[in-house]
Amino acid sequence: MWIERKVLAQEILAAAALDTRQLCEVLAALGFPVDGVATLEGTEALDVDITANRGDAMSHRGIARELAAKLKQPLAPIPTGTVSEGEALLPVRLEAEACPIYATAVLELGEGVTPEATQSFLRALEASPKRLPAVDASNELLLRYGHPTHAFDADAIRGAVTVRWAKAGETLVTLDGVIRNLTKLDLVIADEAGPIALAGVMGGDSTKVTEATRRVLLESAWFEPKVVRATARRHGLHTDASHRFGRGADPAMARVARDLLVARLQAWCQAKLIGAWTAGAVPAPAAPVNLDLPLLARVAGEAVPLEAAREALVRLGCAVSAAGDRLCIAPPTWRHDLAIAEDLAEEVLRLRGYEHIPSVLPPMEGPPEHLAPAYLLRQRVARRLAQLGFHQTVTYGFISPEADALFAAPDNPAAGRTLANPLGYEYSVLRASLLPSLKATAEQNLRQGSRQVQLFELAPTYRSTPAGPREHLTLAAVWGGVLGGEDYLSPARAVLEADLAGLARDLDIPGLPVIHRLADGLFGFEVELDALPRPQDRIIPVFRPFSRFPSVERDLSLLVDLSQSYAALHQAMTAALPAESLLELRCVDVFRHKSLPEGQQAWLLRMRFQAERTLVGDEVDGWVSAALAAAESLGAKLRA
Amino acid sequence: MDQLLPPEIVEASQTFPAALAACGDLDALLRLKGAFVGREASHATRLMELLKTAPKEQKRELGAAVNGLKQQWEEGLKARQAELEAAKRKLGALAAAWDPALPPPQPPRGALHPLNRLMDRLVDVFRPMGFHVEEGPEVETEAHNFDGLNIPEDHPAKASSDTFYLAAHPELLLRTHTSPVQVRTLLRVAPDLAARGGIRFLAPGRVYRKDEIDPTHSPMFHQVEGMLVGHGIGMQHLKGTLEYALRALFGPDTEIRLRPSYFPFVEPGCEVDVSCPLCGAKGCRVCKGSGWVEILGAGLIHPNVLAYAGIDPGEWSGWAFGMGVERMAMMLSQTPDLRLFFENDQRFLKAMGGLD
Ligand SMILES: [Zn+2]
Repeated sequence: MWIERKVLAQEILAAAALDTRQLCEVLAALGFPVDGVATLEGTEALDVDITANRGDAMSHRGIARELAAKLKQPLAPIPTGTVSEGEALLPVRLEAEACPIYATAVLELGEGVTPEATQSFLRALEASPKRLPAVDASNELLLRYGHPTHAFDADAIRGAVTVRWAKAGETLVTLDGVIRNLTKLDLVIADEAGPIALAGVMGGDSTKVTEATRRVLLESAWFEPKVVRATARRHGLHTDASHRFGRGADPAMARVARDLLVARLQAWCQAKLIGAWTAGAVPAPAAPVNLDLPLLARVAGEAVPLEAAREALVRLGCAVSAAGDRLCIAPPTWRHDLAIAEDLAEEVLRLRGYEHIPSVLPPMEGPPEHLAPAYLLRQRVARRLAQLGFHQTVTYGFISPEADALFAAPDNPAAGRTLANPLGYEYSVLRASLLPSLKATAEQNLRQGSRQVQLFELAPTYRSTPAGPREHLTLAAVWGGVLGGEDYLSPARAVLEADLAGLARDLDIPGLPVIHRLADGLFGFEVELDALPRPQDRIIPVFRPFSRFPSVERDLSLLVDLSQSYAALHQAMTAALPAESLLELRCVDVFRHKSLPEGQQAWLLRMRFQAERTLVGDEVDGWVSAALAAAESLGAKLRA
Repeated sequence: MDQLLPPEIVEASQTFPAALAACGDLDALLRLKGAFVGREASHATRLMELLKTAPKEQKRELGAAVNGLKQQWEEGLKARQAELEAAKRKLGALAAAWDPALPPPQPPRGALHPLNRLMDRLVDVFRPMGFHVEEGPEVETEAHNFDGLNIPEDHPAKASSDTFYLAAHPELLLRTHTSPVQVRTLLRVAPDLAARGGIRFLAPGRVYRKDEIDPTHSPMFHQVEGMLVGHGIGMQHLKGTLEYALRALFGPDTEIRLRPSYFPFVEPGCEVDVSCPLCGAKGCRVCKGSGWVEILGAGLIHPNVLAYAGIDPGEWSGWAFGMGVERMAMMLSQTPDLRLFFENDQRFLKAMGGLD
């Protein structure tokens, strides 16, 4: 809220002595940080941030009250005139508990307009003056004292005024010209023909004050915050009035604001007071709250003397009595946020200043807990991938239905994962797979000129269940573009499916995940993290003896059919070799070339042997022959 | 003649040329030299002893054989030494000709996402104080996201204009903060809270709010929640912990400042400022000249939050904080546009992410 410094200084003289920086610091220390300072209409104004619980501070008077308590300086008195109440000129009936008090007056307007100073104040606070004294005065009072009031054209009101719940089917055209369909949960001001205002939110069009208005009926009431909030939300109608009433106005201000409004109209346009009266009364205050000194000391981090606490609360307007080490506190009528002992402890701390809170490390009361294995696994996987050249991405959890459909399993319908109120169609489904997002990100990177794209993401994917979407922490990796070719020793080649298979193996993913071809030269896979082996508890594994004798390596170059299964050949050859001496049998090269016989390829198979003795050449030759025979039985031939 | 010599020396002599050729460097050659012609325990010394003890009639013939072998070995060793020395000189010349400025093969180097790095760093900072990591689902119930946190029934954050709801499950939503992890964790540990000696944890994670995508808003972002429950916990413990953690993050000279504020789930509540890590509190663009930057919201856990989880607020108390990860990342890196964190351009990730 914008607070004009000149008007603030009228409410608390001491504020005039502070420079802007000091004033901002005091306000911040009170919990009202200043978001900006501007010169508006030739006067300095502060954009003060007021939290939702402090409706009482949403005015110049409210901010002044806080400053007065903090600086121990007096507030200026409120210059109420001498309005004496009399008989009700027309019946005002309060039929709902949500409106306990309704102060009113009827005035006959004379000649005159809103004074220039007030118009300038309104303009400075971005409340455009209407030049109608009754309207401008009401707005000025709201900004200055925080109490919303309203003026009706008294001659447009038919019969008695009632504050009541609306009836189903009733409508009201509000000041903004919109027809409002009312419900039984809307509190309205009504005359005998129907609603004339949405209580605490906005007046009606049919009774609004215009230049033709001769007589006004003033309203200065108090409405239950919850009711006003609900009505404002229901009608999407958030006004300055609903803001204040919704956060809790001061019921004791009802009469005062009425008097201030009368005084302004009398001064500005020689209005003649016909009569003033009040229906209902200020509601009984909430029960007092007890604050025990041990609790205060616990919250504050040190003992606070009873007298200091009492004095601070009194400065805030509380009525305080003390018994033993307990304070019994009745909060002032304008504070609706002081309901429990902790609220009051905060008030004491706030006035002392949070800078006085000591700094202490909390003692350990029990042993610390370990990091969860699933968390550690995720960290390990992410670090490994980063070391391997992959970049971790963070993409949105919701995607378009089309993108989702690319990789969603048939038993995972999107309907169970769809948002009721998405930002847009392309963000409407909680994704079943990370691959659509990674594919889009990879393609974007390639378009931007990346030679090679290596991305991974660790995020939940969602599966529809009758109880709602279930989350599964998932790892997806995509890899594409050109590998190598960036230095004189590494030849360039396209990224292939095999590269992703190798990556999956490096990450200890059990089995081979499905390698998806996402686009030309772009591949990816995805696994749920639960599928990966958990980090072992052992710091280092159990020692397994290994041979210190040298290993022997032999290569076999085989011609095989293009359709030959490597797994079958590998299995057959392994079976022919002594398991206890065979370290490894793997294909280390594949050669396909037109120089080879039609339909054939050459595989270079490397065998490594080791034993608890020096292996003799003849023995190894025998093994290799056996492996070759096994390969030949599947149709392989030794390549010359 | 060979029958005069011991068979192992005959065999050694036969393999000598191959052994000589196998010597890849001067060290290996030196070892071979020692074995054949060394002053002690070499084939040559054995031959000399043999010669001394040989019968007179064999001495002449044996002497000629021994001298022949020794000469053969010594000449072989000398020739190989010359070869190896020449090769070494050539290697040296090659090495001198290598241009170290030529770009060498580069081991691969990827990057963790800067937001994840920052969250990991926070976990590292809090670990020594006994904090572990708790996590919860992103699809949450209204009860965990709002009710358990003392957020009133009619709070505006519950509106469908602010919070994403599931179409088929109106009671489910995308969590709007990491605070439901508080509720879940407290509910879980409440029965044996005394045996545990309270609890302290961090809850990093992704959260969702219905904000349009622009340079400072994103419908998905990250928070790190911190919570501690124990006996006699007050604002001093919040301040002490945050002072330790923020100094570990930003440096030992960092100052922190608590200012009153309001969040429904804490009482008292506060905002925490840190002396500007970019200008050393001298005043800069980031801190708008004030020397302070707002870093997180915090407070003492509201008694209603403890009570909701079945924890007696008369016995237990605690503090909680919540930190916006993007906001902090943007502040520290001065990244001008939040969207960069979700675009995942490899150049950005490489520059901002790093490996640890
Ligand atoms: Zn700075």
